[in-house]
Amino acid sequence: MYCRIISGAVLGVCADMVDVEVDIAPGLPMFNMVGSLRSEVRESRERVCVALKNAGLSIPAAHITVNLSPADLKKEGTAYDLPIAVGILQSMEYFKARAAENMLFLGELGLNGELKRVRGVLPIVREAAVRGVTECIVPAANAAEGAVIPGIRVRGAEHISQVLAYLQARCGDKGRADKILPVTVAEEVCLFDGQPEAGGSVDFAHIKGQERAKRAAEIAASGFHNLLMTGPPGAGKSMIAKCIPGILPPLTLEESLEVTTVASVAGLLSEGQGLIAGRPFQSPHHTVSQTALTGGGTVPRPGVISLAHRGVLFLDELTEFKRSALDSLRQPLEDKQIQVARAGGTVAFPADFMLVGAMNPCPCGYYPDTNKCRCSEPQIKRYLARVSGPILDRMDLCVEMKAVGIEYLQNGEEAEDSRLVRERVMAARNVQKERFAGTGYRFNADIQTGDLESFCALDREGRLCMEKLYKTLDLSARVYHRILKVARTIADLEGEEHIRAGHLLEAASYRPSFF
Amino acid sequence: MEEKWYAYWLCGLPGIGNRTIKCLLEHFGSPGAVYRASEQALRPLLKPAQLQALLESRRREAAGTGSAARSGVGKEECFQAAYERLQEQGIAFYTVEEACYPGRLKQIPDPPYGIFVKGGLPDEERLSVAVVGARECSEYGRYVALELGKYLGEQGIQVISGMARGIDSISQTAALSAGGASFGILGCGVDVCYPANNRELYEILQQKGGILSAYPPGTLPKAGHFPPRNRIVSGLADALVVIEARLKSGTLITVDMALEQGREVYAVPGRVTDRLSDGCNRLIAQGAGVFLSPEEFVRELAHGGGRAVQSDKTGKENEEQKGEDTDGGEMADREKLLPILQALDFQPRSAEDIYVALKGRYTLQDVTVGLMELCMQKLAVQTGVGYFCRGHSDC
Repeated sequence: MYCRIISGAVLGVCADMVDVEVDIAPGLPMFNMVGSLRSEVRESRERVCVALKNAGLSIPAAHITVNLSPADLKKEGTAYDLPIAVGILQSMEYFKARAAENMLFLGELGLNGELKRVRGVLPIVREAAVRGVTECIVPAANAAEGAVIPGIRVRGAEHISQVLAYLQARCGDKGRADKILPVTVAEEVCLFDGQPEAGGSVDFAHIKGQERAKRAAEIAASGFHNLLMTGPPGAGKSMIAKCIPGILPPLTLEESLEVTTVASVAGLLSEGQGLIAGRPFQSPHHTVSQTALTGGGTVPRPGVISLAHRGVLFLDELTEFKRSALDSLRQPLEDKQIQVARAGGTVAFPADFMLVGAMNPCPCGYYPDTNKCRCSEPQIKRYLARVSGPILDRMDLCVEMKAVGIEYLQNGEEAEDSRLVRERVMAARNVQKERFAGTGYRFNADIQTGDLESFCALDREGRLCMEKLYKTLDLSARVYHRILKVARTIADLEGEEHIRAGHLLEAASYRPSFF
Repeated sequence: MEEKWYAYWLCGLPGIGNRTIKCLLEHFGSPGAVYRASEQALRPLLKPAQLQALLESRRREAAGTGSAARSGVGKEECFQAAYERLQEQGIAFYTVEEACYPGRLKQIPDPPYGIFVKGGLPDEERLSVAVVGARECSEYGRYVALELGKYLGEQGIQVISGMARGIDSISQTAALSAGGASFGILGCGVDVCYPANNRELYEILQQKGGILSAYPPGTLPKAGHFPPRNRIVSGLADALVVIEARLKSGTLITVDMALEQGREVYAVPGRVTDRLSDGCNRLIAQGAGVFLSPEEFVRELAHGGGRAVQSDKTGKENEEQKGEDTDGGEMADREKLLPILQALDFQPRSAEDIYVALKGRYTLQDVTVGLMELCMQKLAVQTGVGYFCRGHSDC
């Protein structure tokens, strides 16, 4: 008997439907699987057979053929266990064929028949919904993830026998079927209202002093600008970086779907987790390899930069990173995505993140304090050259931090907390949303050089000011443009429509000024 | 002419320094005689390694004369041909016996036997001042070096230094820009530009002053060459000014040499909290002259170094003059910017430091904007990410 079960495969962060075809014919007992399968998919055979046996369901001694179609798409992962098992059961007529119509199955089977979690459920369910599939059966641990997608019913199962019972009941009594395997309802996740939830791990109120850095962080968050902090060890650069997710506006539903999809594909969603509510914060160690950073591998998986999509990528000790790893960031910083090419095709992972870097100003870290710093000028130049020019070029804001004085630690004064800062950031964001409505831009940092004239127009006073700055500070065109963008964000933060000289001057103070 | 070839050859012998050359000349009478001396005659006067080097060199010359002279090419070419090439390269060579050898240098206890010159020699009639200091100087040191170099250049006083990074090159460049003359003494051959980043200074020095060295062309810089070079720096000058030096620094070696040579040593005082001023302050405690301003220093120098009591006006004059320099910016702006300007120092301060120091009179934004306005007016300069210091007249 032939039957066809709907399943899905992940491609990058998208998905495609896969048909699991099962045919049982009389003949010598054989179990063949075809369809361009990686080794873990081939192992499904063993898992399915044993799982069914342990569930009390016997497999006939017949010629069983399983085909995963399209046959030229390389299949990977263990999610095909369940659809194969269901296909076999359907071919053996354990339940009526109608029951599994228009239903998607995903899940790994343990030898005892348990359903185990798999990767990439969210994008597959989303694709299924688009294709008109009405129901999904997925492992219980993944149910919350799938439930996020509107317009499709997702049921989380724990055991193959539960699935079978459900399918058997479905054609008869729908109510009983629902009791056996209820539909998972998506949790209410507060993404955007007055009280946004998950914030950064550190609150601004915990940081004493460092007003300049906090201000720069606020500007960076408002316009999604890249930020570089320099200072001696222990100055608090990591703390500021950890605060930033807490002052970024909450994820929109669309953004959250994107973020959750990437996490799902990477297998990083915890059991029972639905939509991710907080901004991602990724802080790879500086020994990270280029592949781990950008993504790749034999089966392309998202890298750290994709896990930081819509959030913060924090590179601490920027000078210690491998040159190749840093250089590989240039393209994603431009394109907001990363293309991973493989023999079978190219896969694009999203990578729209805010880059936050931290480094020492010199090898010992104490420049420009000549009493502590004994580094010579060539030493410092060589040290700074470790961070490639193109990366430094993309830092819109550079800010200095000094070690905190004892008076700050002991004065007990309350600093502003993240919530208040976030409100200002959100107000600035709204201004940008209005400004860029209908264009492809989201934030001031995205503005291309050609559009600067229209979005960052200067009045006469402003133009004179920029001219003077350009000459006296010996600016390059690139820095000039960055100052304009940052000034636009500063003006937005102050609720001003026109960019004033004061905004330009403050923006200029954040330009990267190394030797 | 012939003697000079031999003199040139003598200077180029590795391991044979000034004292040895002096000894050899006393014994044999002339460089030519040294060249022709027999091995037995030389043996008692030289250390084994030196003797080896000398004999080796003679052997090579003997082999080289003829074939190398004809081809004119080759690393170890005949020294005569090499000497001729000096003319082509614009390098002059003077021995201590010649008239044009710098007078002041002749008088020091241990003058180099021969010096190589690219460009000109210091004018005997005009005052010469050696300016030395730390390579990694602070903004304060940079400022003083600039002002001093500029003033000396304007006054027609020759600036002698080592062309090193930091104080040396800052003062020399300032003097040249102000129209004065300056001379760089190198610890390598005059055709080697060390340090490489000072290429521009190296070129201008050849036109508006000169480059001198006791080492033959092609010699690369080595750590051991610098102390001997330093004695030439102080030897060519009438007085030595130390702008910044740590407690243990190469600059202080130059001071020792200057004292041996009987030169006046002045040191620029600095804050006791600055490690870069430790050396200078210590020198003052040990009796060096206190450098308070370029004008006072030159006045004292011109009067033979006597310490006449100067009126207090000098200090104030400078202050006001500096105040006058700040033309630009309307009155209202200046009122607002003045406290920020006064909070600036020669040590770079972060914008946040200044904001805190002004104790809430300004918001952080105001301070940042104010600092940038001062930068535009050249009254302040941004030295690094977020650090500002007082501007100098030449920035």
